[in-house]
Amino acid sequence: MKLSVPQFWRVKENQYKLIITVCGECGRKTMFKRPVCPHCGSSKVEYVESTGVGVLESFTKVYYKTNSSEDRLPELVGVIRLSEGVRVIGEIVGVREDELREDVKVEAVLRRYLSDDPYGVIYYGIKFKPVLTH
Amino acid sequence: MEAGIRGWGVYVPRFRLSAHDVATLWGYDSRLPKALGIVEKAVAEEDEDSVTMGWYAAKVAIRRAGVSGEEIDAVFFGTESKPYAVKPSATIVADALGVKKRKLATDLEFACRAAGEGIRISIGLVKGGLAQNTLVIGSDTAQANPGDLLDFTASSGAVAYVISSATNSVATIEASVTYVTDTPDFWRRDRSPYPEHAEIFTGEPAYFHHIVSAVKLLLEETGLKVTDFDYAVFHQPNGRFPLQVARLLGIPQEKVIPGLVTPYIGNTYNASALIGLAKVLEEARPGNRILVATFGSGAGSDAFSVVVNEAVLEAVNKGPRVSDMINSRVQISYGEYSKFRGLLLRNVGG
Repeated sequence: MKLSVPQFWRVKENQYKLIITVCGECGRKTMFKRPVCPHCGSSKVEYVESTGVGVLESFTKVYYKTNSSEDRLPELVGVIRLSEGVRVIGEIVGVREDELREDVKVEAVLRRYLSDDPYGVIYYGIKFKPVLTH
Repeated sequence: MEAGIRGWGVYVPRFRLSAHDVATLWGYDSRLPKALGIVEKAVAEEDEDSVTMGWYAAKVAIRRAGVSGEEIDAVFFGTESKPYAVKPSATIVADALGVKKRKLATDLEFACRAAGEGIRISIGLVKGGLAQNTLVIGSDTAQANPGDLLDFTASSGAVAYVISSATNSVATIEASVTYVTDTPDFWRRDRSPYPEHAEIFTGEPAYFHHIVSAVKLLLEETGLKVTDFDYAVFHQPNGRFPLQVARLLGIPQEKVIPGLVTPYIGNTYNASALIGLAKVLEEARPGNRILVATFGSGAGSDAFSVVVNEAVLEAVNKGPRVSDMINSRVQISYGEYSKFRGLLLRNVGG
């Protein structure tokens, strides 16, 4: 979803970081910073920042995209289970499709999401890349 | 009080363009890559820029330093490839890393040596008691006119250092000097997508004169001799210049080669010499002394004498090593390079 400049500014913490909402009532963890728990509706919530490290559970290749990010097509998109136990969907970068495997360890990286045009604001956000091993 | 390096981090994109492919495509002599001392260069993806690469290097540097965002008092972002002509990159990286709001933050521009200047400013702030820790980032997606000589070397990469008091450091910066003049060896005019350079003029009066002058000043001020250094790291516009400048200074190649990264990743501009320093920090032993000299066209050089401390041994394993980043590589074609770096004119949107 394309955001206006003020909208992006308001939610940029959720774009720049992986914030997890932890419910003080039901104890469940939910991705992104939310004012209420989506499971039980409690507003007794706390926030923790994920380490950004997780495991790639599955991935696919996407050929169609909107929002002026055609330059990166086709792109790899995956489901990542973060070390804190919550799942998040994200683009997988820094790797060829034929190199990628399920269960590979990945880490969060800051990348460009999209840019309005050559003169507009650049929207940055979190994607994932395989962790470099020795 | 002396200042020192508390943590370091590096980012090198995995994708590499072979210098042989550049020579073949543009009709250069096939021996040119060897003459330039370049095998391949690192290429950033479409969604990478100096901010995203600098963010990664800084994240690792902060982790190695063992500090929180609340403990960083200044952020300096050295680049000549800012994503915005007007809007600081330092603030984007700082916010994304959770650095506190009460801080000094600015972008610095002096071709390839702005990050070196950031370290010198940081030394002043730390020694003057105005900052406990500063974050210095050097990051570039270097531009090259397709087919120009720079196309062989202009690459992408980032480095970051946390500078603090020497007592908290993995390496003490025991001395530093800067030597600058007005020398038109390399420039990029406003609205120009690619830099221009004065060919051979970039060597003698620019690179060699400024680095040699800065190093000689450093030796004069400290009383050190070149033989007192275990390693020497110089700015690396290609794979040859650092070896040539070492020869001029009477430094053997064996002390330069450990920090020579450009043959494998290209010239990362603001990150060039400082990635070399990071690689040496990852291989050096406590007590080793490292000579570092940056260079930026326009022109200037910062020379540093850095002494490695015991704490470096523990810090090395807290982040990815430069050698691992060099070795983790995927070769791409010139076509993919063009796509990655936005060199193709397309109708998009709608």
